[in-house]
Amino acid sequence: MTGDDTLHRILYVEDDADIRKIVSMSLEMVGSYTVASCGSCAEALQVVDDFGPELLLLDVMMPDVDGPATLRELRKRTSAENAPAVFITAKVQAGDMAQYRRLGVYDVIVKPFDPMVLPERVGQIWQQYRSGAYDHAG
Amino acid sequence: MIAKERHNLAYGVAGLLILAFFVWTFNLLFSIQNNWAESNDVTAMDKDVHALFDQWRNLNRPGNDVLENYEVAVQKKALTRYLQEYRQARSLLEFHDKARVDLSEYYRDMDAAALEVETLARRVLDLAEERESLRLAGADAVMISAAETEAATTMARMDQAFQSGLDTIASIDQLLDQRLLDLDGARRAGVGSLYLIIIVALFSSALSLILLRRTSTQGEALRSSSRHLNAIVDNVIDGIVTVDERGNIESLNRTAEKMFGCSSDSVIGRNFRSLLQPESRPLYDPADFEFESGPSSRISEFTGMRSDNSEFSMELEGTRISVEGRPIIIHILRDVSERKRSAKRLQLAATVFENTSEGIMITDRQGSILSTNPAFTAITGFAADEVLGQNPRILQSGLQTRDFYEEMWRSITGTGHWQGEIINRRKNGEAYTQWLNINAVKDGGGQVTHYVGVTFDISELKASERMKDEFIATVSHELRTPLTSIHGSLSLLDSGTAAASPEKSAELIRIARGNSQRLVRLIDDILSIAKIESEKMKFQLRSVNLSELVPGAVEANQEYAKQYGVHIRMEAGEDDARVLADKDRLMQVLTNLLSNAVKHSPADGTIGVSYRRNDGYWRVSVTDNGPGIPESFRGEVFKKFAQADGSDRRKQGGTGLGLSISKAIIDRLGGHIGFDSEPGVRTCFYFDLPVMQQHWSVEAGAERFVTSAGLSAPAE
Repeated sequence: MTGDDTLHRILYVEDDADIRKIVSMSLEMVGSYTVASCGSCAEALQVVDDFGPELLLLDVMMPDVDGPATLRELRKRTSAENAPAVFITAKVQAGDMAQYRRLGVYDVIVKPFDPMVLPERVGQIWQQYRSGAYDHAG
Repeated sequence: MIAKERHNLAYGVAGLLILAFFVWTFNLLFSIQNNWAESNDVTAMDKDVHALFDQWRNLNRPGNDVLENYEVAVQKKALTRYLQEYRQARSLLEFHDKARVDLSEYYRDMDAAALEVETLARRVLDLAEERESLRLAGADAVMISAAETEAATTMARMDQAFQSGLDTIASIDQLLDQRLLDLDGARRAGVGSLYLIIIVALFSSALSLILLRRTSTQGEALRSSSRHLNAIVDNVIDGIVTVDERGNIESLNRTAEKMFGCSSDSVIGRNFRSLLQPESRPLYDPADFEFESGPSSRISEFTGMRSDNSEFSMELEGTRISVEGRPIIIHILRDVSERKRSAKRLQLAATVFENTSEGIMITDRQGSILSTNPAFTAITGFAADEVLGQNPRILQSGLQTRDFYEEMWRSITGTGHWQGEIINRRKNGEAYTQWLNINAVKDGGGQVTHYVGVTFDISELKASERMKDEFIATVSHELRTPLTSIHGSLSLLDSGTAAASPEKSAELIRIARGNSQRLVRLIDDILSIAKIESEKMKFQLRSVNLSELVPGAVEANQEYAKQYGVHIRMEAGEDDARVLADKDRLMQVLTNLLSNAVKHSPADGTIGVSYRRNDGYWRVSVTDNGPGIPESFRGEVFKKFAQADGSDRRKQGGTGLGLSISKAIIDRLGGHIGFDSEPGVRTCFYFDLPVMQQHWSVEAGAERFVTSAGLSAPAE
């Protein structure tokens, strides 16, 4: 887009208000990212077009519409169709991981996470994605 | 039977005839002998009569001879001698006692005549002597003539008497001759009869000899065939006992002896009942057995008793027949205890086969299904006749790999055994998981004859395992989520990141504390359910007044409800509303129901709480106007870890255990828990507890433990 490889905007969907707050604070205050944090798929769909996320960070276990379904919905929007998707979840059994891969999820962050390390981890994933993306493009 | 009687009659008549014949023959011989003796006697008597005749003739002589001038004295002597001789001859007649001729009258006549002849002869002799003396003395002729005249007269009278005696003797002679003739005739007739008897006797003897010879030939044949028959009877496999019509034993064969462990001698004459076990003795009645007219004789079962008092089952067949006009009953006995035992074993095996909850399938060596049991049908949906002759492949689901089946057969052919989980398909197409145990059945030579598959449906077990796995995952997720928040907020606080913003710091502290509380709640519920599952939860039963407990619970949860913007309204009820319960547990139930109602209420919703008396119980209701319970979920409401939507859990903050804990508590208090729901309108959860009875008066401090069996009224 701008040629700038630095990650700015993260769209974050998580139903648990407490975790949402902690992750937001961590990403904003420790990682200096701009975070659009949403409590549900519906909320995310409302803000996604205006926000223009560079990375999607999604919880998996959510009521009504879970992480994978939210991802499918977001992918329908041009504003989010190419952004790498990262799941943040405790569900990381072999079967789950295979399913995430099939869904086109780029990476998975395992709960519980350390909020002091989380922004750095997201940054690494972003860097990896960018280099891979360039490799892929080139 | 009639022929028999006729036969007997003939024997009787023949016997009587023979007896009569003997009597007659004896009589005849006796009479002939008598006749003979009498004839001899009469002949001898006849001779004596002739001798008497001679003697009688002499008697007349002295009287007549004297007229010829014989000397009187000589004549007198002669008369005396003659008289003596006559008397002797006359008395001889009376010795012939065998002659059956009555001569007493004649004897009297003779004796009278003899006396008269003697008297007159003596007078004649006296007169002759008188005339002689007159003549010698020279008496006149007149006197002599008078004497002579008198003598002549007397002589004439004497002759007359003499003549009558002669007549009498002639009559006697005639009588005797007649008697001799009679005897002779009788003897002739007797001898004729004797000839006849001899002829008859000879003929009878000949006949008897012929008959005897024939009978003895028949007897020999009979004896030989009887020996033959006895050998057969002794060696047949069945016991044979014959009894008379009262049931007294007349004979038993060797098999029967062995069967009862006794010898013939010891039981013959005893009643057949004595061979039966005491209780079954009254059941035996020899009158039950009909004559052998029908095609089937009666077969019944009895318990026999051996001489050592051991018992055995036997089948008894009775046939009544008539032998020589006398009814006897032939019992054929079969020891069926072994047969019954094996029948019982088979019956047991069949019962197990039919009633076990494990599906059983038996195939032949080629794998064709020979037999299945009802449990097999219940599990697979295939009736026995639908799979008969089929290969068990029809049960395959297609969800197992080819390798799986190859491995299974390698094991069966190698070790004769395979067991494990296998997914098969029911008749209705549904796939299910079963535990299958296959064993090869071998004959004595080690050759496989059949395969037996024993199976039970573990799909429910699997489902509950899955549920448990899901629960563990859920619990682990539930425990991790608050921990993530606690850990995360504390890390942020610790790093000083939030130090610049007091609001943010306060927020993080609130998050840490709230999630700590949530953790505690979760752990409490998990412990409760663990206690309930292990049935270790102790109840302290006391009289609990709902008019105090229910408003108390409402009060305690009002603050919590307020967080959701929900109000709890307590409806007024009676002051005295006592139930027997554990106050803390009841409070737990109410809190569960209230927090459920709060979580499912819309913001600004109102929850109504009431307690009302219905018949013999108090009903406590908690009503909300939340979305209600979907139809599909109604059966699951009280199941553990159940929530209408598994992912709903976190939002509502529950563990999915509250209602199952509540139900377990109310069940143990002898009550009932339930709900009514009109989706979108209202949902009412309620529980009923029996009204406290007077005699349940529980003293303060008294404790009652309620077991899983439920509430029991305290002892008075």
